[in-house]
Amino acid sequence: MNAQEQKMSAQEIVKFKETIENQSKNIKTIKTDFVQIKHMDFLTKDIETSGKMYFKSPNLLNWQYTKPYQYSIIFKNNKVYINDQGNKSTVDAKSKIFEKINKLIVGSVSGNMFDDKEFDISYFKTKEHYITKLIPKTASIKKMIKQIDLYFPLKDATVSEVKLIESSGDYTKIIFKNKVINTKIDDSVFTN
Amino acid sequence: MIRYLLISAFFSLFISCKSYQIKDAVSVDNSLQFVQNQYFSDVSLDYVYKTHIEIYGNKMGGIFIAKRINDTIHRMVLTTDFGNKLLDFEVSENSFKVNFVIDNLDKKIILNTLRDDFRTLLQVNSKVFKTYKRNKEVIYQTENNAYYYFDEVSSNLTKIIKTNKRKEKVIFTFNPKKTTFAENINIQHNNIKLKIDFNQINN
Repeated sequence: MNAQEQKMSAQEIVKFKETIENQSKNIKTIKTDFVQIKHMDFLTKDIETSGKMYFKSPNLLNWQYTKPYQYSIIFKNNKVYINDQGNKSTVDAKSKIFEKINKLIVGSVSGNMFDDKEFDISYFKTKEHYITKLIPKTASIKKMIKQIDLYFPLKDATVSEVKLIESSGDYTKIIFKNKVINTKIDDSVFTN
Repeated sequence: MIRYLLISAFFSLFISCKSYQIKDAVSVDNSLQFVQNQYFSDVSLDYVYKTHIEIYGNKMGGIFIAKRINDTIHRMVLTTDFGNKLLDFEVSENSFKVNFVIDNLDKKIILNTLRDDFRTLLQVNSKVFKTYKRNKEVIYQTENNAYYYFDEVSSNLTKIIKTNKRKEKVIFTFNPKKTTFAENINIQHNNIKLKIDFNQINN
């Protein structure tokens, strides 16, 4: 725990969860820019990629990298459409793993990840943020991710930053910027 | 039938005994004791490439990161585009350490193939056994039967061909920006359906 982080009280947790759950129920669309920072201890510099994310309830998702290269992954009608620098491919997404990825991405942005079956969850606050720390319970996920930290600005009930920490301590940080909730998003955005 | 088999067995033995030769190349005196691949040699740099792997028709993409840790060891990591690690190796001429591998890739045949490929790709110094010349190329054969092709004018390393003494097994092709940096790299296997492409990311 960081020096300035404080544990939230039981009362605060109830109120916080209620706010997030109410907000995420009302989410019809999300449109946001993001910056992804990959930190590995052995590297001199972090690796930065960035792009845009579009979500339309209940299950349309386009996660798109635009810098330093073009890569998009679209979840639509139980299929995953990948466009990797012009190389297009489609994967059947009926598998549990894609369902989990979809849930994880949408949950990461909306913040609605209070799944006690999947995670051990603890709650903190700082002067700027509420922070939820999720420790996966499934062994296969645990091998890849030790902990997920979600940062919520005090005055905003959605996530501004996600930190995925590996067991080695290396991490991936995703920062959301210019987020717009419930703006109209054309269905064509979810076409590869 | 048996006679046919014997003849064809003998015939293929005869064919495959022919040792690997570079067409039109002439043997010259060794001018170097060690041949250098400088594309992953600078300890102060992180080498970051977007990568595409095609294995038996299955395609996957991600990010390849390599760093020279000291004189002999390189660390290399392969991640998905989302940043999660698929592989994390430390490799030198004589050592190999797996820091992390996802379950799907945790198979001896896969790890050994990747170990050998990345060992060749990353290794800076290799002892020269023979030297050849052809047109504007200088070719260094190493003691373990890899052939390093250099462009004589630019001094750039353009190709490494690994052989099993008789046939080309793996071909590494470099598209150099300068003698110390390759913009694109391709690894092509001849005996298995495996192809790996690397394209530089301006991080």
